[in-house]
Amino acid sequence: MRFQYVLAQAVQSIRRNPLVVASAIVAVLVTLVLVFGAIVLRWSIDEDIGRWDDNVRVIAFLSDELSVEEVTALQNEVAGWESVEDVVYFSKAQALEEFREMFADQPSLIEVVEEDPSTLPASLRIKPAEAADYSEIRNQLAVVPGVREVSAADEAIDALVTRSNRLQTFAVSIFLVLGTAAVVLIANTIRMAVYARREEIGIMRLVGAGNWFVRVPFLLEGFFEGVIGALLAVLVVGLGHGFIVELLSTVADPENIQVPLDFLLRQSILVLGFGAVTGLVGSALGMWGFLKD
Amino acid sequence: MIRLQDVSKVYDGGTVAVNGVSLEIQKGEFVFLVGPSGSGKSTLIRLMLRQEPPTEGDIWVAGKHLNSLPSWKTPLLRRSVGTVFQDFKLLPQKTVYENVAFALEVIGRPRHVIRTQVPQVLRLVGLSAKAERLPQQLSGGEQQRVSIARAFVNRPLIVLADEPTGNLDPATSVGIMRLLDRISRTGTTVVMATHDHAIVDAMRRRVVALDRGAVVRDQSHGAYEGALPEDDDEALAPMPPVPVAPSAPPMTGEETVEE
Repeated sequence: MRFQYVLAQAVQSIRRNPLVVASAIVAVLVTLVLVFGAIVLRWSIDEDIGRWDDNVRVIAFLSDELSVEEVTALQNEVAGWESVEDVVYFSKAQALEEFREMFADQPSLIEVVEEDPSTLPASLRIKPAEAADYSEIRNQLAVVPGVREVSAADEAIDALVTRSNRLQTFAVSIFLVLGTAAVVLIANTIRMAVYARREEIGIMRLVGAGNWFVRVPFLLEGFFEGVIGALLAVLVVGLGHGFIVELLSTVADPENIQVPLDFLLRQSILVLGFGAVTGLVGSALGMWGFLKD
Repeated sequence: MIRLQDVSKVYDGGTVAVNGVSLEIQKGEFVFLVGPSGSGKSTLIRLMLRQEPPTEGDIWVAGKHLNSLPSWKTPLLRRSVGTVFQDFKLLPQKTVYENVAFALEVIGRPRHVIRTQVPQVLRLVGLSAKAERLPQQLSGGEQQRVSIARAFVNRPLIVLADEPTGNLDPATSVGIMRLLDRISRTGTTVVMATHDHAIVDAMRRRVVALDRGAVVRDQSHGAYEGALPEDDDEALAPMPPVPVAPSAPPMTGEETVEE
């Protein structure tokens, strides 16, 4: 009976001011869509980094003047380094073969390379022991005679890591700024609801209604607004993700861009929690000072 | 039942509303608080309801020491005190029945209690037939009876009435006073602030007269007039057909509807 009463009050209050309530819900929705979207995007990027970690090699292009013995000696030396897991020699012929495969549709390029063998040097392909060792290997190679040039994908990796971190910063700032806006908007709806019912609240206080009995309908109202906004956000991100995966399925392997369902579900629960907390904090803020006896 | 010990209330800005009032009211007593506007009657009632704290002094109501009562227990205090105001304070969108039931609902009384007690108290105030009406369909006197029903439905130890007849004509006021008298006879303590001379003089109950926040007279079977200064304009106010506060609902029109 009491619970029914409290619930009815909250629902009635939401009905009384649909526009204001809608604005609060939309604020929660936008906030959480951006935050949730960023979380999902970050997962994809981290996943990418993981894949790259395994495949990346530091490539040391060798001077054409090196003899076979010198190359073997160099290969052994590099293989002895702590940060190196594996070294593979890639000859000029192999390089040319690879080049032919990569640019099979551009015969003019292949012709150029075939005419001047010096453009495609032999190389050592070095697999680092740890992802973080890229730069160390690169620095060590820089002072080794006979190495013409060093190429590593570390710039690309770093860029990805930076992007992932930036995305996180973005998500956190979005959450702080828009989250605050959402809390304030909810607080505003609650304040209006309190104001609309001030007479009733005054009478409730006079006849001895408990503090929580007065407050709970408003807390519940804020809670509903937060959770509804979060539910919509989950829906938008879920559908949006499915849509993007489908859109990209022609150009990318869906396996690679599909965020696993259990990850989505876990994050959804987190997002719903955020929504609920946003709503409760908002309504507490809205009642602040108003509902003391 | 109610005890005030050297109670003073000074508002921000230095207005002294109550000045060193000591008062003891026994269980079942009927007490008039009289005095001109601004003499501190309403403030005393607000203090007893703990709507505000005293600046100085101690207050006990219904066995509770208000000064040391934790704020979350204020609702418990108010459940043992019924209140009636000049402006009725009824919820316009609720029917008579719902208005009275509301007082029980919000303190969590079970439904079967509400179903028996509300009709009972409506019979007591003579409004059984109008239970489904809305407040604006009632006369002022009827509305006040609804608010008395609401104050009494939980069988409080004390009923505090602040100018309950302030918006009503003399004939209607008599009905309200009969009702408060009946409530008082059930053993309920009734404290009523008023400037209605006729009522106070007719009832011959205990009169506590206030002036500028201090008790100037406390008579067990008093009349309104006494130590009150003659130059006070309030002494002229409650003559029969005087229209009350400008904000008050138009009594005359509604009374004709009733009678």
